[in-house]
Amino acid sequence: MITGITTFLIIFAVVGAILYGRKLAKNEKLDAVFGNPERAKGGAHWIIVGTSFLLLTWLYYSWDLAKSFYPQSANELCQVAKVNDSLLSLKYLFPIVEREFKSTSIIKNENRNIEKLANEIKNSPNVKDQDKNKLLIFIEKTKKTIPLLTNEKLLENETKNKIRELTNRITWLTEDFQKIDYPPIKSIEEENKRIEALKIQGGWGSSGTAVENTIEIPTIPETKKGLKFDAAAKDLTLISEDFFKLRNHNSQYKVLIKEIKDDIKKYRSELGESEEVASALAKDVLKIARRIEYGSIFPPNTLDAMEQSIVEFDQVQKKEQGSLRLVDIFLFPSGTIISSGPNCSEQGSGRWLPKPSDTLKKFALILKPSVGFKNIPLIWYEMMDVSKIVGFIMPDWLADIIPGKYPVHSADGTVKPNFKSKVLNVVTGEFKLFKIPVPMGHIWDSFLRVFLGLTLGIIFGVPLGLFMGLNRFAKGFFDPLIELYRPVPPLAWAPLVITVFGIDNIGKVFLLFMVSFSIMIISARAGASGTQLSKIHASHSLGASKWQILRYVIFPNSLPEILTGVRVAVGMCWGTLVAAEFLAGTTGIGFVENVAKKYFQYEVIWITIFVMGMLGLLFDVVLRKIIEKTIPWHGKG
Amino acid sequence: MKKILSFILGAVVALNLSISVANAAAKEVRIAFFLEWPTPNQEDKVKKLFDKALGVPVKWTNFSNGGAMTDAMLAGDIDISYSQGLVPFINAVKSKAPLKLVDVAMEYGMGGTTCVTSKASGITKANASELEGKKVAVPLGTMAEYVFDESMKVVGANKSKMTIIQMDPEEGAAAIVAGDVVMACLFGGNSIKAALTVGTRLLTVQEARDAGIKGIDITSVTDKFMKENPGMLKTFIEVTHEANARYAAGKSDLNVIAKDAEMSVGDMKETLGGFVFLNAADTKKSMESGGNLDGFLKGMGTPNGAVDTSFLPL
Repeated sequence: MITGITTFLIIFAVVGAILYGRKLAKNEKLDAVFGNPERAKGGAHWIIVGTSFLLLTWLYYSWDLAKSFYPQSANELCQVAKVNDSLLSLKYLFPIVEREFKSTSIIKNENRNIEKLANEIKNSPNVKDQDKNKLLIFIEKTKKTIPLLTNEKLLENETKNKIRELTNRITWLTEDFQKIDYPPIKSIEEENKRIEALKIQGGWGSSGTAVENTIEIPTIPETKKGLKFDAAAKDLTLISEDFFKLRNHNSQYKVLIKEIKDDIKKYRSELGESEEVASALAKDVLKIARRIEYGSIFPPNTLDAMEQSIVEFDQVQKKEQGSLRLVDIFLFPSGTIISSGPNCSEQGSGRWLPKPSDTLKKFALILKPSVGFKNIPLIWYEMMDVSKIVGFIMPDWLADIIPGKYPVHSADGTVKPNFKSKVLNVVTGEFKLFKIPVPMGHIWDSFLRVFLGLTLGIIFGVPLGLFMGLNRFAKGFFDPLIELYRPVPPLAWAPLVITVFGIDNIGKVFLLFMVSFSIMIISARAGASGTQLSKIHASHSLGASKWQILRYVIFPNSLPEILTGVRVAVGMCWGTLVAAEFLAGTTGIGFVENVAKKYFQYEVIWITIFVMGMLGLLFDVVLRKIIEKTIPWHGKG
Repeated sequence: MKKILSFILGAVVALNLSISVANAAAKEVRIAFFLEWPTPNQEDKVKKLFDKALGVPVKWTNFSNGGAMTDAMLAGDIDISYSQGLVPFINAVKSKAPLKLVDVAMEYGMGGTTCVTSKASGITKANASELEGKKVAVPLGTMAEYVFDESMKVVGANKSKMTIIQMDPEEGAAAIVAGDVVMACLFGGNSIKAALTVGTRLLTVQEARDAGIKGIDITSVTDKFMKENPGMLKTFIEVTHEANARYAAGKSDLNVIAKDAEMSVGDMKETLGGFVFLNAADTKKSMESGGNLDGFLKGMGTPNGAVDTSFLPL
């Protein structure tokens, strides 16, 4: 319902925005030539069009449009899929979905195998000539079984009748299927049972109450059309089963195959221990013979009537689908609903691209702090005592250097704290102050890692970069180190860093630090060495000290480069972080995605992708604001 | 504008057409298996007996976990997964994957899948509640996660208070050796061996067996392959059962199996010794209502209809 309204709103927005854009283009008097940045200014309406197209694509390929406009279609298509599923085994026998008859391809294949095996026997050095002859006789006999199966004259009447009977059953079903009153009304009890079952059966779409996957497509037929297909599928399954019980083994064939089996058995039992090769070859011959035996091989034209009846049924069932077929073609792009055993499922883009409505539902669910993902909320807060911060900042050895000894327990089994132990409590944060809320959760952890890695990279990278741009020693001394590790993809370091620094935050932050550090050095260095000499000379002649030149000339001049570097580093850090969290993680967005993948929770995977995109965008927007504030002159010179 | 529109329309049409072009009758059979997980039919694999029995070339691809096997099957790159863990299979079926369980590959005690606690932490079965608040490595979504869950129930530790780190067995073994985690749950001979250099099993094989913790590995197949080549599937299972029977009779070539599993013969024998291969009749019993496998599936809330016993060589 909401999806439907949204869809219409989106379409109106697109149409409106396009009309507005065309009107604007007509009325605008812009004398800017091609290449003038003025021509790229503004254009919020195009943002609407772009976003709407993304949303429409998502709605369309996730089959959410089908769900909102034809909520019954999944259930009905499930029944159609049941029909297709029950016909599939039969269809594979004929050139309907394949290029050739199954019999043909089996015979082609086995003739090839027989030839191959014959050559192997002839060329086998470890087999005596008399054994070779015997084996070749077996092969020859096996080869002879094929014409016995493909000769129409040898086809037994019983088999013929059975095939005719099955063909008739399909034809009758085709006729019945077109009637309005198919399927015949069942007993009232059964009908009531179905209605009861329908009440329990959920709707199409994933559950909004559990993170785990649940069956998404209702399988019990809900509509009249569905009932029809469901009943036909049951009949067809029976027909298919009966057919595959059928064996085209006439009396001549039976005699021959028994002879082959007995001969080979006898031959193998007579062979000594030393003739293992011959025994194995004989077994291979037997395997081919048995494959032919079970291969549903029929004479060329015996099954023609049956093929025709199946094709006819297929046409009829397609016609009976009516409008459903159009829904299937147009609203279920790149895939459809298929049936597998008693269940139906979405296969195609609908499976791995969750519906926007479902994704929102799941997102709302795991945003709840009580649900979260793996017992940790996505983002929430916890109350933390300020004492912990004090304990973190103050070094523990402060207590150790205070004169005196830590308290010792007394004879009556109590411990009396003294000044030294009280200091220890303070520096380790073992006391109570007041509590403040601090953020926590997967998103916060990922954010914090990136933020820390980036900040550390800036703090260490920028001064070093400037230094390298200004000093010959620094340039020469640090260059090999930086240039050696910089070109290596950060992820190549990941396994090593995780081994050295462990799987905790330190390792991940260090990895991100490595990423941002090199980028910051390069950009700061480029900025520093790119400062116009005339500006430096001017300030120098005005009497500026070294520090003043650095602070007021070189640093502002390299700021544009540095800030561009930060923007690049943010992107790189995100990419690296997610992969690092993949490797070993307990929290973080990358961890969530990795675990969701293990359970095939596509909704959660997409949620993590969106969250990452949003966070990256957030970082970038903040940086753009900073750039506008700090270097307003940039690009205007 | 027109160009853009026609491009978009063209792209939509192209995407819709790329549904899945039906591949012709199987020209080869693609089978997934595990390294470090020796099975008697690997002898047949090396000696190309499967190729002969099926009449088409057989391509074997090794995987590090059962979830990846499912991914490959859904993408249409694998037809049969041999000895996929039951847990990844259940996860796949729960997420609507068109797969079928057609055979039990083997049942095993904790010999092949186990949790190892580091000696340095001093944690054993007796004081296992000390695991709470510490870090443990578990390959989530695999049989090892099931073993972890069950073991925690046995030793009475609360797993929701532990920090569970998602790690594949090789990484988990490395993490426990490096001291990053106090316990790692693992499968695969070499990984367990590496972890045991610094740790001990939380539950011995016997203890796990007494507690009823039992792993089941299965053979799964894509619906498409099952419908298209029922004969081949049946032959595959038959050859596998023949190999199991040969192993039971002591006639398997263990050197070949060890080499193919990339393990030393000694380790291989130990791992293989922990496996129980059921014959066809027992397999059927296990798969049917009231059996071991059936109980496991129902216990984990698997949707009905994921099991098909009609391919067993009875």
